[in-house]
Amino acid sequence: MLQVRKIEKYYGSKNNVTKALDRISFEVAEGEFIAIMGASGSGKTTLLNCISTIDTVSAGDILLNGENIAELSSGELARFRRERLGFVFQDFNLLDTLTIEENIGLALTINHADPFSVRRQVCEAAEKLGITDILGKFPYQVSGGQKQRAACARAMAAGQSLLLADEPTGALDSKASKNLLEIMTQMNRDLGATILMVTHDAYSASYAGRVLFLKDGRIFNELLRAERKRSVFYHEILDVLALLGGDVSDVI
Amino acid sequence: MCSRCWGVMSVTLSKLSLRNAKRQTGDYLVYFVTIVMAATLLYAFNGLVFSKELQELSERMDSVSVLIVVSSIVVVCIFGWLVSYAANFMLTLRSREMGIYILIGLENRQVARLFFLENLAVGAAAFTLGIFSGALLYQILRAIVFSLFGQTYRFAFTLSLKAAGLTAVYFVLIYLRALRKSRKKICTMKICDLIYFDRQNEGAVIQTSRRRRRIFSASIVLGILGTFLLLTGKLISGLIGAGCVIAFLYGFFLSFASGVPAFFEKHAQKKWKGQNLIIFRTLTAKLGTMGIVMATISLLFTATLVSEGTGLVFCALFEGRAAQNGCFDLYLAEEGETPPAREYLEFIQQKIPVRSEALYQVYQNENTQFLDHILDSDVTYYGYGYEGDPVMRYSDYVRLREIAGYEEVSALQGQYLLHCRRYLKDVLEECMEPVTVGDTVLTPGGVHTEHFLQEFDSENGNGYLLIVPDEAAEKLSVHHTAYAAATVSPVSREQLKELIRIEEERMGTGNYDTVITRTGQKEDAALSTAAFVFPLYFVSLALIMTAATILTIQQLSECGRYRRQFALLGKLGMDRREMEKTLRTQFLIYYAMPAIPPVLIGVPFILQVGKGPEPGVLVGAGSPWVIACAALAVFLAVYLIYIVTAYSSLKRKVLLDVPASVTCI
Repeated sequence: MLQVRKIEKYYGSKNNVTKALDRISFEVAEGEFIAIMGASGSGKTTLLNCISTIDTVSAGDILLNGENIAELSSGELARFRRERLGFVFQDFNLLDTLTIEENIGLALTINHADPFSVRRQVCEAAEKLGITDILGKFPYQVSGGQKQRAACARAMAAGQSLLLADEPTGALDSKASKNLLEIMTQMNRDLGATILMVTHDAYSASYAGRVLFLKDGRIFNELLRAERKRSVFYHEILDVLALLGGDVSDVI
Repeated sequence: MCSRCWGVMSVTLSKLSLRNAKRQTGDYLVYFVTIVMAATLLYAFNGLVFSKELQELSERMDSVSVLIVVSSIVVVCIFGWLVSYAANFMLTLRSREMGIYILIGLENRQVARLFFLENLAVGAAAFTLGIFSGALLYQILRAIVFSLFGQTYRFAFTLSLKAAGLTAVYFVLIYLRALRKSRKKICTMKICDLIYFDRQNEGAVIQTSRRRRRIFSASIVLGILGTFLLLTGKLISGLIGAGCVIAFLYGFFLSFASGVPAFFEKHAQKKWKGQNLIIFRTLTAKLGTMGIVMATISLLFTATLVSEGTGLVFCALFEGRAAQNGCFDLYLAEEGETPPAREYLEFIQQKIPVRSEALYQVYQNENTQFLDHILDSDVTYYGYGYEGDPVMRYSDYVRLREIAGYEEVSALQGQYLLHCRRYLKDVLEECMEPVTVGDTVLTPGGVHTEHFLQEFDSENGNGYLLIVPDEAAEKLSVHHTAYAAATVSPVSREQLKELIRIEEERMGTGNYDTVITRTGQKEDAALSTAAFVFPLYFVSLALIMTAATILTIQQLSECGRYRRQFALLGKLGMDRREMEKTLRTQFLIYYAMPAIPPVLIGVPFILQVGKGPEPGVLVGAGSPWVIACAALAVFLAVYLIYIVTAYSSLKRKVLLDVPASVTCI
């Protein structure tokens, strides 16, 4: 579904160039749940921004369903984002002037959905995420977990095929985090959603089927969960993280 | 604290104040420009008050000065409110910064002093710039006044110390009042109050949505009722109407925020259509907390439109009267067949060189064919003084046309002509049938409508006059005898004074004459325009600038929130064109809302005011509809400057390199 080919990203001016991504390549199959891990400054959010078309790459290609997103115009990119991508952010990014129902419906109105069917679609998405009872409330009236579930509902309400999550549990307590991750797993398993999640939390990453570790803009390691239990996978992730502090040659 | 520390601290505070003042000027450029304009207006009008050359234009210029000073006091109150509001608003936006100053060890009064100094610096900068731009505006006003009095204008750039001094006094009053309030607020606030002060807003005055909905419906009813009562033109109902309109504005804006969600609740599909959701939710969120301010702004706009319209009505009225009554250089009239008093004629003979003159009589016909028709029609007409239709001999008419400088008319062959005021033309043409004058039956010959001194019965007919062959008028009774002349040079102020002295002397002996000169009429019109129109426009400019500035600083203060909102919309896939459209629609509704009620109330009000003066003066380019459109155009022109400035600034800040900027969330 998603192919990332030797992408590079540089920041700064002539005399002060920072390489944020260094020839990164990987593929994401449809229906996969991938976590990207790494320390602060490792390039994981930059990678997510490049995939989400919010930022552009300096070199390399990103193909979604065979379509090179670097070749799209700004109007096509906007359409690409609203039709194919769903976003979940650490700080929820819900508009405080809209109710939860309206925040979810916002993604549909931007997609020019039929006004008569918006409410039904919102209710369906809310039901799947268990937030039907808070639809009439404003963001400041609900908990962080509920806000993040509302953000997930918004990300999936318009039938987007790829869910991009940037530290989705970063602002949640452990109970709400667990709840959200279970919902994301459920979305991946039952609804076939492809999820790409950036996180620095091993516990969150253990819910994914595959984990990519980034260090200094390069893929440092990759872990596949396969048939292992989540707790075993969690410990393996911790082991890699322990190594992540050392030299690359220590791991590979 | 030791004296050295105090010294160092005060230097640092002064530097900080200066830097903050610079930042304030940049962040609130619209506000700063308005304050500069306030100084400009105040200085320019003060310049008129203290100008010796302008005072010499007429002996009655004192009354103009008094009215300008009175209007200046009103303007100072308006700008005082603006500065007070802006200071409080900036305090709200910067309260966290103030809280941090206190947190790091400054005392409340030091922070208050800092805020005071930076506002004072802004005020001083605006005052200095305003004096120079005011000196230029003064030249424009001076040119207008000279033109009103028919004098030649010559550019002469001067700075009046007295005008600058009075402007400084006004500015000190404006700033001291506003800053005293802010100082009191800062001095009594705790750190946590300051840090969380920006989270407080106006607060919803009406709490429950059901109550809001009721108030919304009631306000609409009051608005319609109030406008209707204002249009009746009666004092008591007008006052009640004004009260209803004010209640409508406050009720409407306080309840509007709840009206929109209620509407969308009933019509859900409308909410989800296009970008309605984002536009109206953003708008109601803003209006929900600034209902009182919006209503006050709307009230100020109403007052602006009414002031402008009334000013234009006055302007057209004075011009119309001067044109109608100043068609002859000199005109004298006396009741009956007696010619104007010997004193007048002797004085004219000795002191006023005359190019052309006529001594003539105005007769009255034995029937009132035309008067009856006018009185039966719908047209407003205050006719009195004549027992029959007023009549003039053809030869006198030809002579008078020559004196007034009008085209010649063809000779009459058993016909009569009608000379009437323009507003009576259509009505009188309906009854242009054969008429009997004395023993002669005359057929209609034509209608003329040039200004012909026809306002009162002691002039050339009260609104209309029949021109008949000389022989037809022989048997008619004389209504009054008049003298008209074209002078070699305009009748001077001294000559007019002498003529008026004679008139007053004769009045003492029971003789009531009519003395009219073109220059006298022009001077009256110029004085009245300067005394009424200038102050009305002065006040209306202050009102619209204040209201539009508050709207603009409120809108621009939301830039940060809007930027985050549109960055999110960009991430969700809204393209730039759609974002621009959404922002533009949201922006236009925000600016249109407080302006629509004033237009709906103000235009009918101006039309009503236009009906006030005597009939026939406000015609053509000075007709009430033209005046209403002109007032609206002036209002919109000034308002548009603020709208365009605010929109370009908002668009630049909110859609800063979208879609690339969406990363900055």
